[in-house]
Amino acid sequence: MKYGKLGALGAAAVLVLSACSGSATTPPAASSGSGASSAPVGSAPASSGGAVTPGAWCVGGTVKIGTELPMSGGETANGVPTENGVELLVAQVNAAGGVAGCKLATNVQDDALNGVHDPQTGAKNMQTLVADASVMGVVGPFNSGVAEAEIPISNGAGLLMCSPANTANAVTQPPDGDQYRSAHPDKISYIRTATPDSIQGPSAADYLYKDLGKTSVYIIDDTETFGVGVGDSFEAEFKKLGGTVVKRDSAPKSTTDYTPLFTAAAAMNPQGVYLAGTTPTGMGLALKQGRTVSGMETIPFVGPDGVADLGPGGTQGATITIAGAAAANVYGTVGAAHDLASGSTFVADYTAKFGGAPGAYSAAAYACAQIIVASLTKAAATATDLASAREGVRANAVNSANTFTTALGTLSFDKYGDNTKPFISFYKTDMTAAGGKGDWVFVKQESFTDPNAP
Amino acid sequence: MTVNLPRFARPLGIGAVALIVEYLLLGTQQFANALTLGAIYALIALGYTMVYGIVELINFAHGDVFMVGSFLAMWIMTTIFGLTGPVTNLVNLVGLLAIVMLATMVGMGLIGAFIERVAYRPLRHAPRLAPLITAIGVSFILQNIIATAFGPSPVNFPQIVPADKFALMGARIAYLNLFIVIMAVVLMIALQVFIGRTRLGRAMRSTAQDREAAELMGVDINQTIAITFFIAAALAGAGGMVQGLYAGSIKFDLGFFVGLKAFTAAVLGGIGNTTGAAIGGFVIAFVEVYATVIGYTQWSEVAVFTVLILVLVFRPSGLLGQQLGERA
Amino acid sequence: MTAVSKPQAQSPSPWARLRSSARNHRSITILAGWLIIAVGLPLIVLIPPLSTFQPQSLWIDGFSNAGVFILLAMGLNVVVGLAGLLDLGYAAFFAIGSYVYAFGASPFTATQIPFWPMLLVGALIAATLGLLLGAPTLRLRGDYLAIVTLGFGEIVPAVFLNASSFTKGTNGIGGIYKPTLFGFNFTLENPVPYYITMVAILAVTMVLLYRLQGSRLGRAWMAIREDELAAASSGINTITTKLLAFALGASTAGLAGVFATSKLTFVGPGQFGFQVSFTVLAMVVLGGMGNIWGVATGAFVIYTIQAVLLKELNQFFQAIHAPILQNIDFVQYQYLLYGIALVAMMLLRPEGLFPSSRRREELHVDSEDISDIPPPTEALGQ
Repeated sequence: MKYGKLGALGAAAVLVLSACSGSATTPPAASSGSGASSAPVGSAPASSGGAVTPGAWCVGGTVKIGTELPMSGGETANGVPTENGVELLVAQVNAAGGVAGCKLATNVQDDALNGVHDPQTGAKNMQTLVADASVMGVVGPFNSGVAEAEIPISNGAGLLMCSPANTANAVTQPPDGDQYRSAHPDKISYIRTATPDSIQGPSAADYLYKDLGKTSVYIIDDTETFGVGVGDSFEAEFKKLGGTVVKRDSAPKSTTDYTPLFTAAAAMNPQGVYLAGTTPTGMGLALKQGRTVSGMETIPFVGPDGVADLGPGGTQGATITIAGAAAANVYGTVGAAHDLASGSTFVADYTAKFGGAPGAYSAAAYACAQIIVASLTKAAATATDLASAREGVRANAVNSANTFTTALGTLSFDKYGDNTKPFISFYKTDMTAAGGKGDWVFVKQESFTDPNAP
Repeated sequence: MTVNLPRFARPLGIGAVALIVEYLLLGTQQFANALTLGAIYALIALGYTMVYGIVELINFAHGDVFMVGSFLAMWIMTTIFGLTGPVTNLVNLVGLLAIVMLATMVGMGLIGAFIERVAYRPLRHAPRLAPLITAIGVSFILQNIIATAFGPSPVNFPQIVPADKFALMGARIAYLNLFIVIMAVVLMIALQVFIGRTRLGRAMRSTAQDREAAELMGVDINQTIAITFFIAAALAGAGGMVQGLYAGSIKFDLGFFVGLKAFTAAVLGGIGNTTGAAIGGFVIAFVEVYATVIGYTQWSEVAVFTVLILVLVFRPSGLLGQQLGERA
Repeated sequence: MTAVSKPQAQSPSPWARLRSSARNHRSITILAGWLIIAVGLPLIVLIPPLSTFQPQSLWIDGFSNAGVFILLAMGLNVVVGLAGLLDLGYAAFFAIGSYVYAFGASPFTATQIPFWPMLLVGALIAATLGLLLGAPTLRLRGDYLAIVTLGFGEIVPAVFLNASSFTKGTNGIGGIYKPTLFGFNFTLENPVPYYITMVAILAVTMVLLYRLQGSRLGRAWMAIREDELAAASSGINTITTKLLAFALGASTAGLAGVFATSKLTFVGPGQFGFQVSFTVLAMVVLGGMGNIWGVATGAFVIYTIQAVLLKELNQFFQAIHAPILQNIDFVQYQYLLYGIALVAMMLLRPEGLFPSSRRREELHVDSEDISDIPPPTEALGQ
């Protein structure tokens, strides 16, 4: 459900890296690639106070981007930095005069109940956002389970959702995906920026087996939707290649001691370890404690973008910070292109506004908001009221002919709402980088063709 | 919570048998892991069992007190002593560990007594479920204060004990594991002596047995209960510190499930029974590690609670029974 | 045992006469009460302070969700409030009801059993599991039963999580079918049919519960709650009686699960954690254990605080331009505020908002307790 988490973080880190190379001057807001209105959106504060008078569709001079993320309790770290990504773009767009003269605001919804993400609360939030006619599109949700409860509602109402984090295949792809959009099968209402589990897991398996030449592996997942999803697809691919999975464990995030797990696995002499999960859900601790077990000290550990968060040592909550010296010889996949063409100012802008590094999904949420803004910019030309503007945003965003330039690179979406050109970038840790604190360094990237293409 | 020397024989016997069975099933390496985990569970379980023994309250905030303990220890180490990495000088290391542990225990004890004063004492005459609800409320409050102060992400805990290992019977065991087990055992013995041999301990036992009679005999009930909460929270604080040392990273929501398991341990051993709580902690850790060894990690939680239900069905007063005896 | 409330010696006023006739025709009164509520609630939210929060359709949708918790609280009240059995794993039965409906009516199992019979099936299966759990464990005293139910509450979601080939594991089951009635299809866009269904379920459940409470069985529950030993020696079969309370509580939770799942169209193992069991227990305790209307009100109050008020604090303080307060992001502190609210409410009214008359008297005579262990504090001065 959340490959996206790491993806965003990864992307953010990627942005940092690419910033060093001095490329990228594109403004942060997305521009719709398929022609149409090209009102300057985003950055460029030079054009402040744009004198454009908003069209009749812009009731009250302000429309909203909804956010539907877990913002409280144990999920704060997931939701708040992600939501900040949206706030950043909204501030930039407003500084530049808004969308065709129409200012933006946010409608923030929190799907955590008692501190845990809750599909019931998510469904209620989606009803709330649908009922707020000025909401043009929604960034969220974070968790696939929440998405499965929300898509039927947004599909029925024709409100665009863009998830920065969902990765479970079932959310979009048949047969399950069809059931969620049964109200209007022809009008999908959901897109996502993250690379599905079915691509990220196997690419890590290929890397471990072919590039690193390891033929046996120990897999541990965190029992969450994302971890189990990438773990399963990794396992299937690794076996298909001819490798051996010596042991597969599932340890919930409430686990406080991973030593017994690794002790048991070490007895079977795996040549590598796949950490199927994210650092906040226990994989950081698993890496740190796993390394202390005899036989596990030096073998490669590979993780998806929940582990390869691309945060250098010293960054709060980052994998390398938590694992310390244990982070040596760790490899990771990130579901985004490394050499992004645009958005290189994202990290700097984010840090300047919020006083801290972006979270794992901040860049993806920013990209989602960029897509909504670009779609709205295009829809504004023909919209007559809020309802037609909302429908225009949905239709433009899901139209597979449109491409969007975002902080995650150029994106477009297939008939199920999945990214048409998924990228996987590979990273490894270098403990001498970042002044001895350790950092992720880029290894290579691969692009995949759209698995759903006809 | 009574401790009569002759009655040591039975718990010690049960404990010894349990340990031997564990050792045979797990092998040296995993046995060391289970002992370490069990020591941490036991330190928390002691607090549950003491509080239950004296006020019959399932203190659901206790797991979070444990969590706050690890953050307090982390804060003392990094902010006051500026520690970030291993301390190699043995004398310095032992001194630092002792000071940090003492400070953490005292600090947490005060927090525990404060919680009792604010959230539980006013409800002592209220229906029995009322303090249960405030306990959960306190749990939410503690988690949120820590999440606000230290952030919701995992936080690094300075690894001041070097990661060196020694060989033992074909296994390689870290000195840290040894330290944790020894420290837990020392604290448990100290607790037994305190409860069994001191005036305050006697006050606690008598209060647990019959509060009215104890008060008639001149026991200051409020003070005794406050001290019980102080000790329970101090032990949880020590547990929190060793959890941090052992795991190396801590998170604001780490207390809840550990608390549930430790509570299970307390019940398993016979709630109100301090020796039982310690043994229960080791048994729970053993069940968890054994589930891992045979390849059913994801079922370990189910196994723990199934064992709990079975023990209670067939031996309703826990492994060791209540030392307090049946009341009413 | 019934005439507990003190005889009231005022001269009969019209109000008193209404009260006494309401007491004589309790079922009709309850149905009438629910009718008034059903019509009144959607109208009340049109009045300004409430209407500024959200539009009417959302309020109605929220009331259906609140109804799920009212149903849960009323069911748990039978177990905790009437029979005095502390159940800390009540969400397990909610989970069972939810999954039963997911198995009965989803593309995952390729079956589509209609919603209405599934309400019964869900309730029956939950009750059966309640009996299976209760039979060996109900002889445990007071808090030990609480621990066993706590364990059960952890086991059930873990089984749904781990038995992934039967439950789709952590992904959960989606696309669950919505109810239909004589060709009318329930949709997610229109909250009214769900609302009416929920009110009907609540009204019928409440009538049944009040009848049960006054019946021989209900009096047996209360006798056990007050003194199990005395109840047993008066000829009450305590095990059977407790089992029935347990099964009845479980079946109500099963019912709630079927309804909630048909409305959400999704079920996953993460929805039934300890937090849910605890929230329902807090509703029962806060509402006033043993008092069915009180418990229902407690559930409504806590649900509204959690799901509406705390989530809307930001908008609220910004709307009234409260100094300082409008600059604080309350979304992030709602969990903290909820904790403080729980502690404060318990400190202010430890017996709950609306304690049952029987319990109110107990509290004033002597602090008696729901379990058979007397509280250690009774009659102790400070």
